[in-house]
Amino acid sequence: MNLPCKAAAVSALAILGASLALAADAHKQTFNIAPSGTMSVINNAGSVVLRPASGRQASVSYTTFSDKVEADCSSTRDGRRVEVRTHALAGQKPTPEESRVDYEIAVPSGVSVNISTSTASITIENLSGDFSLSSDTGQITVNGVTNSFVHVHSLTAPVTLSNLSGVHAEIMSTGGNVQMNSVTGPKVNVSTTGGDISYKGDFSGGGIYTLITHDGTISVSLPETASVDLSARSISGSVENDFPLRDKPHTTFSPIQGRSFAGTSHTGSSSVELQSFSGRIRVKMQ
Amino acid sequence: MNCQEFQETLPHIIESGGNAEDEAHLRSCPACAILVQDLRYIADQAKLLLPMHDPSPRVWSNIERSLRSEGLIREGRMSLMGQLTSTPQMTFPSQSRNWTPLGWAITLAAVIVSAVMLVNYHPVSPVSQETLPSPAVSSWEGADEQLMGQVAQQPPAVRSAYEDSLKKVNTYIADARRAVDDDPSDQAAQQHLMDAYDQKAMLYEMGTVRSLQ
Repeated sequence: MNLPCKAAAVSALAILGASLALAADAHKQTFNIAPSGTMSVINNAGSVVLRPASGRQASVSYTTFSDKVEADCSSTRDGRRVEVRTHALAGQKPTPEESRVDYEIAVPSGVSVNISTSTASITIENLSGDFSLSSDTGQITVNGVTNSFVHVHSLTAPVTLSNLSGVHAEIMSTGGNVQMNSVTGPKVNVSTTGGDISYKGDFSGGGIYTLITHDGTISVSLPETASVDLSARSISGSVENDFPLRDKPHTTFSPIQGRSFAGTSHTGSSSVELQSFSGRIRVKMQ
Repeated sequence: MNCQEFQETLPHIIESGGNAEDEAHLRSCPACAILVQDLRYIADQAKLLLPMHDPSPRVWSNIERSLRSEGLIREGRMSLMGQLTSTPQMTFPSQSRNWTPLGWAITLAAVIVSAVMLVNYHPVSPVSQETLPSPAVSSWEGADEQLMGQVAQQPPAVRSAYEDSLKKVNTYIADARRAVDDDPSDQAAQQHLMDAYDQKAMLYEMGTVRSLQ
């Protein structure tokens, strides 16, 4: 065998070895979960996807990519608590790639779910319940959630919320951008330090919406039909408004051109408060 | 009974001592015996923290009065039930709160952060801030180092995220504090300061949880 052939053979063996070492290993477990039960998921790397289950059972499908980590799934006898946790096996020090576990979890609506990850992404789709999500850097996506409590903590993880209605949302991110599309409910609080906040929708539902940032940008795009009582204020950043508003006779602050404004459209059924310290605030019509 | 079956009944064993079958397994399995011993120790220690769970109403009143006198909260802002009480039109699924050791650690971290916040918050300073080192920054330094120590085992990208976040939040606190000092009656500045401290508390909570994981 000539040299190039030997090199090719060695490379192929190396690739095969690496593939075997990171071979995907799929598992599935099901649990009975009480209607007001709680599920906790801890998974540092990989992904967690949460979808609705058809019956009263929760199912946890997961794929590991290394034999240095394993997933423990357990539940209490009364089904009030289910725990899913990824951990390294004793004596093992998996690399970030080897630590990955991908979860596909189905839960009935109404269940309280806590998910904590470091770099793993979190996705929740078409559910209702009580969701507490925390990730250092993994993308957090919540879509189609209704009549729920959504609590999100992120360091630099980007947060995307879309088609949420009737939600009480508390979103806090230090450096991650928060993007909202059609998010409505009685209370929506979003706070970032450096992350940008964008909102596209009509702020409907007669709720209280508060978006606050230190030096991120707040961009709001709303349709002409939006019924809002809107105020925007920046301590040292700029404020721009292209949306037609009636001046309010009474405000808690004196509007300053380019720094703050307040006004009402239609009946002003929802309260919208935009605040930045030094970041730019821009309000425009869709 | 094997170890897995035994461990499924752990909560029952910790609470009531278990049945004869559990006892037999405990005698024959040193690993499970040590586990139960550790859990009982943690449960006993957690009980010592119980007074923190429900302090007297006077404590809450004092905290509320202090925050109100500092101008950090307005009428109707604070509630022992939290923000949820302000949205009576919605019904959320009830949450059972089982106080786990992790929960206690987070609570403890939050209490420490709150204490540092209260100690360091001075809305009106008669002395120029430029002539003195910021008490907040110096007090936070040790705690920040501790936080970075907690996440030292994390991958570099995660450590870097914590480091950057800490810097950003500290800048936020410093900016907001300056704005409050400039105009103590500025409610927007006060809200930014509260928000900056909330961000800091979140960082500490996340770092603590990550280190325990």
